[in-house]
Amino acid sequence: MRQLLYGLAGTFILLTGLVSCQSDEEIKRQKYITEGILIYQNQCANCHQVKGQGLAALYPPIAGSDYLRHKDSVICLIRYGMQGPVVVNGKTYNRVMPAQPQLSDLEVAELTTYIYNEWGTETTLTSAKTVGPLLEACRPKK
Amino acid sequence: MRVLTIRANFWPTPSITALLVGLSVFVSSCGSGDDKLPVLGQKETVTRIVDGKSVTDSVAHQIPDFAFVDQYADTVTAKTLAGKIYVADFFFTSCPTICPKMKVQLKRVFEKYKGNPEVMLLSHSIDPRHDTVPVLKEFASNLGITGQQWLFVTGDRDKIYDIGQNSYMVTAQEDSSVPGGVVHSGAFILVDKDRHIRGIYDGTTEAGVDKLMKDMDRLLAEYKA
Repeated sequence: MRQLLYGLAGTFILLTGLVSCQSDEEIKRQKYITEGILIYQNQCANCHQVKGQGLAALYPPIAGSDYLRHKDSVICLIRYGMQGPVVVNGKTYNRVMPAQPQLSDLEVAELTTYIYNEWGTETTLTSAKTVGPLLEACRPKK
Repeated sequence: MRVLTIRANFWPTPSITALLVGLSVFVSSCGSGDDKLPVLGQKETVTRIVDGKSVTDSVAHQIPDFAFVDQYADTVTAKTLAGKIYVADFFFTSCPTICPKMKVQLKRVFEKYKGNPEVMLLSHSIDPRHDTVPVLKEFASNLGITGQQWLFVTGDRDKIYDIGQNSYMVTAQEDSSVPGGVVHSGAFILVDKDRHIRGIYDGTTEAGVDKLMKDMDRLLAEYKA
């Protein structure tokens, strides 16, 4: 009987630990997304529009965009911008995307998390630790 | 005459009653008595000699004649807009801030009045060095705009800034400290067939542009009466 009680208590503690672990992760993801939404609205929505649908043949969509497959490239162009033609869902767009050098690693990570959770298929966050080395690697050479 | 069915003691004192009636007359005269949009801008004075005496008249602020070039490389002057009401705005094609928002909103206006021979849209580039005729043509077609109803114009930079600030009463100036290098207002300016300004609206919000379209309907109705 005592063994059973210990067993139950042990299982309970283990479960509690797991659940709270998951929800810490979930809380962090929610925080990233909340910050990401704000950054998106201030820095991106003017051209790509609030729902990520883009604007006619001027600015490509983010929602439903096949370009999201190139995640490393997306992370880099968020901070460093892009120039020249780009093909999204079979259509060619050719307008300058301005760089946002003021965005920190964390802010790029939050924005990436929002974009990939909202319009990609991801359900986890992209951390600042992940984007840091990527952004360092694609920093334009002076 | 619903008022008559209300019990007499509903009205506290005759003076308050009079006040209420006066107020309601005042409110209703504001709301529906005169449906005309105001003419905006400072009146200008004109002095003439009538019967040997000098007479000073005031005339409403008016958009002066101008000459710019549109996306089809045609010259646009006040004559191009004769007999039309139009909406003017100031933008530049490489603008990363409020311009895309304004273009989304102005496109709503375009869709609503498409094919209406009394309505035109006139978007002035405030970065004419970059926004050449081919650049404007590509921008317009990428936005999905064809035809003569919505013209994107470029021209002498100082003349565009001057007409923006002094005639349309909006800000437009270079400032290297802001993204894109030019600060400008997000206003849409409604101009009537006599080139008087009849309203200025926030072109970056849906509410501002809803109001503009309502006022355009009112302005068009003035010409029907």
